[in-house]
Amino acid sequence: MLRAIIDNLKGLYSLLVGLSITGRFLLSPQRTVHYPRQVVAPESLASFRGPLELVPSADDPAKTRCISCQMCVRACPDNCLKVVKGEGGKAPAVWVYDFSLCCLCAACVEACPASALRFSHKVYLTALTRDELKLDLLADLKARAAKAAGGADARPPAQPPAGLEPQARL
Amino acid sequence: MSGLGFINPFGVRELPGTTTGDFYTANFAQKAQPGRVILNLGPQHPSTHGVLRILAEMEGEYVWRAEPVLGYLHRMHERMAEVKTPQQFLPNMGRVDYLHPLAWNWAYVGAVEKLAGLEPPERAQWLRTLSCELNRISSHLLWWGAFVMDLGGVTPILYAFEEREKINDILQIITGSRLTMSYFRLGGVCADADDRFLALTREFVPYLRERLKMYRGLVTDNVILRRRLEGVGPIDVDMCRRYGATGPVLRAAGSPNDLRRDVPYGTYPQHDFWPATGFPDDCFGRYLVRLAEIESSLDIVEQAVRGLPPGPIMVDKPPKANFKMPAGETYFAVEGARGQVGVHLVSDGGKNPYRVKLRAPGFSNLSLFAEAAQGTLLADAVAILGSLDLVIPEIDR
Repeated sequence: MLRAIIDNLKGLYSLLVGLSITGRFLLSPQRTVHYPRQVVAPESLASFRGPLELVPSADDPAKTRCISCQMCVRACPDNCLKVVKGEGGKAPAVWVYDFSLCCLCAACVEACPASALRFSHKVYLTALTRDELKLDLLADLKARAAKAAGGADARPPAQPPAGLEPQARL
Repeated sequence: MSGLGFINPFGVRELPGTTTGDFYTANFAQKAQPGRVILNLGPQHPSTHGVLRILAEMEGEYVWRAEPVLGYLHRMHERMAEVKTPQQFLPNMGRVDYLHPLAWNWAYVGAVEKLAGLEPPERAQWLRTLSCELNRISSHLLWWGAFVMDLGGVTPILYAFEEREKINDILQIITGSRLTMSYFRLGGVCADADDRFLALTREFVPYLRERLKMYRGLVTDNVILRRRLEGVGPIDVDMCRRYGATGPVLRAAGSPNDLRRDVPYGTYPQHDFWPATGFPDDCFGRYLVRLAEIESSLDIVEQAVRGLPPGPIMVDKPPKANFKMPAGETYFAVEGARGQVGVHLVSDGGKNPYRVKLRAPGFSNLSLFAEAAQGTLLADAVAILGSLDLVIPEIDR
């Protein structure tokens, strides 16, 4: 009888300990990043694997380093790349990448002899249909070059939606 | 309830003798005694962590007979291994067990390396240990939260996720992803650890040790949890042996089996740790074993960060896309968060393996559920199910 009472009192005490811990955390600042009001800081995405992008060549930011050798196409386990060689020279005419199939394994990045591929850090990419995820990487490269306008290898960090302040994490 | 032809939203069906329900239910119900209720737990039940389905024959609140139904998440991983080169199949390993992907990475890479006679450089080996142990901690943390949530405590999983996010942030630096990691390569690893990774890991170890003390006050000592778990679902060594259960389930039963010590691989012989044993063989013991394993993994992480040697992270001539394995057969097993993760690989000398068998620890651990749950209360059966730490994609493969 006495034993049971003591056990129950101890049990009640353990509940109070748990409640005090919860109470302490209730009063501490929040730990989550409230997307879309806040976004993750770009340095936290330094090695994040987003959709692929082409690396611009050293002399012209709108030109690709790709030599259309098809090594990436052969290495890809998901068959999500399509590279077609252009007329005259090695430069590709078509470079289509189906992000909806990609498993972000980096097999293409590692297979590329010209180091023409890398992962972007686009974490805010959204699409309504699968077709929108078939990305034309040559057009993407030209758009980036036009945007940068100078700075041969300017790699834009992940672009948060306009008007949002990145919140430092880690 | 019986005789009313009543179907309620929880899946309770008035059954014996009738053939309502699908093939499995009808088949299971044939052996049911009159007056008993057949209960479907799952395949999409909040307490089954995925699309696992348990059929239970209920006598009041007691489980008379239980039977797991598998295969809802079968994705033909073994077949995919036969039609892809080893390099192409590697990303699959992160998808088999999404909570401890690096153990599966290691098992497959290890099997191919063993067959091809590749010896990764020392730094790569240490990085493998380091990342694999961090991943084990994150797996156990998620289990801890999910298990307590199964038992009715919803808050702790949010605390667990705070730590898990920190580990994800750390592992993202080297692996590039947060969940389905594919970090190991044939003959090494794909990225080197930078200063930021090492600094964050060093910071994280004492931080988690402090948090584990908080876990103790919040959950482990809690009287409600203890009365839910103590003495519930005893699983002894004999039962583990019969079903092939490994990992924390076997260690809680009292057998100090741990592949990291029994069949040492990688750099584990150079680490100072001991498999966690000496706990009761009930649900509470399995709970304590995993918390103790987080601590021993933290020790290994600390030692690995301290002892990380300089050097290359890939062999001199890494296997190319046209890499062909020598003909032969091999088996390589590592200790995953749930037990023995094994890859049996047969090669005929071609580009693709001839046959790959993946040994998932969760499959064996789930097999003993039918016996362990016999005669328990339904709520206790859910506690037993949770204490086995099941990852359904791994079981169905």
